[in-house]
Amino acid sequence: MGISAHNNHEKVFSMSQKPTDKSRTCTSGIELKPYYTSADIPEHHRPNVDVAPGEAQFHRGFHASGYRSKPWRIFQLSGFGKPEDENERIKFLLKNGETGFIMEHDRNTADHCYNVTHPDVIARREDVGLTGAVMQSVRDTAICMDGLPVDTSFGHAGGAVVQHAPFALAAYWTVAKQRGFDLATISGTGQSDFNLTYLGCVTKEQIPTEAGLRFNADIIEFCEQYLPRWVPVSIAGYNAADTGLTPDQELGVLFANAVEYLDEIQRRGNMPLVQAARGCGGVSFRASINIIEEACKMRAARLMWSQLLVERYNISDPKVRNLRIHCVTAGSKMTYQQPLNNIVRGTVMALGAILGGVQSLGVSGYDEALSIPSEHAHQMSVRIQQILQEETGIADVTDPLGGSFYVETLTAQLVEKAWAFFEAIQLQGGYLAALDSGWLHAQAADNQYQEFMHTESGEQKIIGVNCFRDDESPFEVDGFMGTDDAFDVATERLNEVLRSRHEAGAAAALKQLAADCRSDKNIMPAMMDALAAEVTLGEIGDVYREVFGNWNTPIQT
Amino acid sequence: MDNSQKRILMAKTGLDGHWRGPTIVARALRDAGFEVIMIGMASTDDIVSAAVDEDVDLVGLNVGGHIDVAIRAIEQVQVARPGLPIFAGGTIPPHAAKQLEALGVEVYPPGSQLVDIVDAAERLTGTR
Repeated sequence: MGISAHNNHEKVFSMSQKPTDKSRTCTSGIELKPYYTSADIPEHHRPNVDVAPGEAQFHRGFHASGYRSKPWRIFQLSGFGKPEDENERIKFLLKNGETGFIMEHDRNTADHCYNVTHPDVIARREDVGLTGAVMQSVRDTAICMDGLPVDTSFGHAGGAVVQHAPFALAAYWTVAKQRGFDLATISGTGQSDFNLTYLGCVTKEQIPTEAGLRFNADIIEFCEQYLPRWVPVSIAGYNAADTGLTPDQELGVLFANAVEYLDEIQRRGNMPLVQAARGCGGVSFRASINIIEEACKMRAARLMWSQLLVERYNISDPKVRNLRIHCVTAGSKMTYQQPLNNIVRGTVMALGAILGGVQSLGVSGYDEALSIPSEHAHQMSVRIQQILQEETGIADVTDPLGGSFYVETLTAQLVEKAWAFFEAIQLQGGYLAALDSGWLHAQAADNQYQEFMHTESGEQKIIGVNCFRDDESPFEVDGFMGTDDAFDVATERLNEVLRSRHEAGAAAALKQLAADCRSDKNIMPAMMDALAAEVTLGEIGDVYREVFGNWNTPIQT
Repeated sequence: MDNSQKRILMAKTGLDGHWRGPTIVARALRDAGFEVIMIGMASTDDIVSAAVDEDVDLVGLNVGGHIDVAIRAIEQVQVARPGLPIFAGGTIPPHAAKQLEALGVEVYPPGSQLVDIVDAAERLTGTR
């Protein structure tokens, strides 16, 4: 039988349609239907669907008027070099329309609580300042914060890694006080991120998880007393996800983490639990590239937080049950090849987060796979958000996906699957046990490997990486390497602090901090005194190492 | 020759703890039969002594920080074990990749295929 040209075309068409017959799953492994109807929405979720945003179970959004009354905060991770380099970049971002600011600290020194004179740092002196400014004393922090709108903006003090957070926060607050601000009135956030510290980015030396939990509880209690407008710790899924956990697992691990803090606060009995829940209700997620699933994840998170507070802690206050979400687009989805394509990826991932109704957003730089962001990449990340905010109309109506048969179904399915992962963590003995044993790392590693295999086989196409590799771009993107004098200047400044501070005062403050670390007292008052007395980061790290020892890392990297 | 007779040392030159990349590469190399010795965040001295003491056939460096730190490690390994092949992966921008290649180091930046990395290991250790 002869095939006419017309028939041949039809044959090609029908072949190209074939893959839609194949089963499709989202990243969380939930099988997707070609389309959804109202019958697909699970029975138990139906009462949630037709409520206004800002009403229980809150999955539709933080507030009925959404972005009309409060646009999402443009909040970009930033920092490199000397404190003055970082200060200049933050001012550049603010001038370009950023609406909060993040102070990133140098990984080598901050994450490990080392001064630049530590042998492990000296051995890598060129690395110093590559990913954040070096801040070893309150003098350095003062330079980094010079002229920043601490009173009118929302500041992130740094302290991503758990053992570093008390120092970073105390330094920020001490400088704020020196500049005449009342701590009770400033707003901002720390990080103290367990999933970064113990799962995604495992440092060479770190206090054990038990001590980390105590630090975070100390910070939560200290903020309740002195900084009521501060988000004390950020419970964050980003690093769990970028290490390999799927969106449902990211949700499960985030709430397993939250429960660990809230249970600890309850056990200590020093403050009302409802206040702790209010403080912990500002969380952080990764926004990845499967954007409908990611939007559903944000909706699922709000629903789960509300359920958790009511069912586990009997907290009914709607203000506390209403979760606030910060989000950063997935760094690991940014490609090294054809980096300008990442402007599209950043835009799409940002859109997913916004469709999910997040309160705050950072977009990774288009040069993310090459280096920390150049000034231009940073500006583009802000511009992406501004275009979405000002030009697209996306901010006009709250929860624009609400009521979609598919979105409501997937939201409910993610909630169910996430609670199952939460329970699996409890079966491991809880979140801390699942970190200590390496169980969570094993989950992440298996997922990473699967993800790589899918890319390797071409089953998952990555444009410019495993297909469509021709690059006609006239723009050459190379890595931004910051400044090359961060180590030398940090060494000089450290010596200057040690030479000119009031030595007896510093020694006494350090001794008090060590004593409080050994007791069950809250370490933050002594930390504030230590920073005011110009005790340095490495000296505090030495106290930690002596008092708490090091976490027994469950993975070999 | 059989891959299982070949030993590969893997180390991170920086103090940045992101472990996703090197562990995936290590897994692929082990799946291909190689013996992989991971020493994590290691100073130049640690890398050199492990390369000598463990009598490895190939060194893999995860470079997450400044290229000068990696270059110092590479030059000292080349002094201690002349001719020992080295390959590197991680966040290595194009200008830095060129610097490493000039030292005879093969560079596998983000987006590299595992099959290419395993191929390189076989070629560099002489099993292929």
